[in-house]
Amino acid sequence: MNPNSTLALSAVALGLPTAGFLVNALSAGRLPRRVVSLLGPGVVLGAFVATVVLLVQLLGQPPAARGITVTLWQWLDLSVRSGSGAVAKTGFNANLTVRIDPLSLLMMLVITGVGGLIHVYSVGYMAEDPGYNRFFAYMNLFITSMLVLVMSDSLVFLIIGWAMVAFASYVLIAFWYQRPSAVAAGRKAFITQVIGDVGLVLGTFLIFLNLRGGDGQLLHTVDLQTIFANVGPGPHLHNGLGPMGGGLVTVIGILLFVGAAAKSAQWPLHTWLPDAMEGPTPVSALIHAATMVTAGVYLIARFHPIYQQAPVAGGVVAAVGMGTAVMAAVIGCTQFDIKRVIAYSTMSQIGLMIFAVGVGAYSAGMFQFFTHACFKALLFLAAGNVIHALHDDQDIREMGGLSARMRVTFITFVVGSLALAGIPLFAGWFSKEELLSAGLALGPAVPWLWVIGVCVNVLTSFYIFRVVWIAFRGQPATPRAASAHEAPAVMLVPVVVLAGLASVVGFLNIDFFGFHPLTLFSDFLRPVVGVPAAQAGDGIQALALLAGTVLSLGGLGVAWAVYGRKVISPELVSRRLPWLYQLSLQKFYWDEIYGAALARPGLALAARVRDVTEPRVFDGVIDGVRSGVSGLADDLRSLQTGFLREYALVFFICAVLGLIVLGFRLA
Amino acid sequence: MSGLFPGFLILSAALFAVGALGVMVRRNLLVVFMSIELMLNAGNLALITFARYTDTMAGQVFALIVIAVAASEVVVGLALITGVYRSGRGLDVDEMSEMRE
Repeated sequence: MNPNSTLALSAVALGLPTAGFLVNALSAGRLPRRVVSLLGPGVVLGAFVATVVLLVQLLGQPPAARGITVTLWQWLDLSVRSGSGAVAKTGFNANLTVRIDPLSLLMMLVITGVGGLIHVYSVGYMAEDPGYNRFFAYMNLFITSMLVLVMSDSLVFLIIGWAMVAFASYVLIAFWYQRPSAVAAGRKAFITQVIGDVGLVLGTFLIFLNLRGGDGQLLHTVDLQTIFANVGPGPHLHNGLGPMGGGLVTVIGILLFVGAAAKSAQWPLHTWLPDAMEGPTPVSALIHAATMVTAGVYLIARFHPIYQQAPVAGGVVAAVGMGTAVMAAVIGCTQFDIKRVIAYSTMSQIGLMIFAVGVGAYSAGMFQFFTHACFKALLFLAAGNVIHALHDDQDIREMGGLSARMRVTFITFVVGSLALAGIPLFAGWFSKEELLSAGLALGPAVPWLWVIGVCVNVLTSFYIFRVVWIAFRGQPATPRAASAHEAPAVMLVPVVVLAGLASVVGFLNIDFFGFHPLTLFSDFLRPVVGVPAAQAGDGIQALALLAGTVLSLGGLGVAWAVYGRKVISPELVSRRLPWLYQLSLQKFYWDEIYGAALARPGLALAARVRDVTEPRVFDGVIDGVRSGVSGLADDLRSLQTGFLREYALVFFICAVLGLIVLGFRLA
Repeated sequence: MSGLFPGFLILSAALFAVGALGVMVRRNLLVVFMSIELMLNAGNLALITFARYTDTMAGQVFALIVIAVAASEVVVGLALITGVYRSGRGLDVDEMSEMRE
């Protein structure tokens, strides 16, 4: 691979969305809409083309050579140089170095590809919005931030991208700033992201301060490839980050996961994601389905050399991921907001990905990320069509019967649902079964993980088909639903393209439960993440595959029985299991718990400061200074008699006294 | 010559004292102004005396500068006094007390 062409192409991929953002933002809304409609999606699709060319170049290389680092921008370099400019001693440097390898390319493909489709869709969805130019400026900024995050080979720029993503998501969630709820949701997301940033930054500090090279010397580097090359066991006693499974590397792993959990909406930092549905629907599709929330998965896959040294941290990651997956799936079953159901399903699916990368099945986790990006963006955009048709109504109880009037949207939504539910031959089936297979591969001692994963799948297929039946079948619940009309072509094309992807991308990797006739995807990622160590026996795997698939279909069947045929009344279940129903409906009370534990004490403290500290301390000091100065001025005023001769007298007396003192000093 | 030094210094001090007393006791602004000039010239006398005594030029140069400054001061001061007089307030310094308290 020619480094110069890689440099140029990655500069194009990163530069185009940046330029789009700058032009859009600096023109302050003065660009005509037609220009913005071309510019906004155009720059992202341009970046996609550059990424595809990079992919072709990369695939032309032997697998071992698929990974190249180029420096885009020399920002800070403290290397010692000799007179001729040659580097005599490499010092600390924080440059914008870009790593092009299968993992980053996969992320870039999804970010620019799915992101580009969502940009095209937004042209239709946001057409009526007064903030049209602002919207595309923010969207391009988001793409830029995300690309910085995944392309950077330097911890410094990874953190910069990480924080920029948080900011871009904040402005996009709070895009409709006239709505107080949207602003609150944006703020909540941003605060949660900052908690995660703290974890990530602390983790990188620990790496920077403690990483030792093969000779036992501290490296003090932020270069990712150097870090990963040195983190493993070596000849020296004080190698890498201490012994395998040691306290330091475990703490680092957990701190990095705090960052990942905030981005990926994993418990206990998950509450922002459902609220983030206040943003426009394309934002939900771009940020809260395809890209940003998977940054945590990417982070752990990228830092897998560290997690391989820290099995305990990996276990924490896997447990949190699985726990979040179950919790979100349970919540998803009772929500009525169409976007919130999809949001909880995102949380749940990302929990599965986090679980996979936690147990070391990086390829399975990333494959799930890849298929999920396609079918989840599809679900969001199809839901966006519905919401658009119903004039911003998101409640599925007020829909009904839409399949007759929105044929294309209905079919694509069902394709997305089938993929999400893990129904055979759709994308989700391949990735999820591969992922569960990884859970089973941990050994016969922990089949529980597989059982829990299957339960998540069953719940998933239940709740997503619950939406399909309530929203699209039956009779229209409102006049608005009865008069709904299909979306314009600019919104349908991206949805149809995504539906096509959601149907076929699964075939990229048929590698689960003992069958592996086609493993393009895991072969592609292998140079970066290697192969999972454990494999379960073929017989058990085949049985598990069959059971999992049948159970997923069972979840679909239950949804059909409850909401399609209405042979089981949902009210009956909620009356029989009131605690479970309430737990699910109230989202496990996390918002209430955080309110009682954090928000209310914080507000009480603030009120105390306002009522006690403010009047007594701050006002007291300020009033004291004021009355002191004014009292002194009152006393001094009597000296100003207005008699010039008096002033002269005082002046001379003082001068004489000063001379006397000076005389004594000199003597 | 050296025996006269105390005499010159005493004369200088006396002139200065007369000037200072004039500033403090006289009420006519013009006289106050003249007293200030007197003090400046008393200072000049002392400077020149010391210059002769130490046989250096520094004091003489200093005196020249003081004369130049005094000339400028006269220009400004007389202009101010004329201005005050024209405003119809007379030249009694005790009457000029609008800015007390």
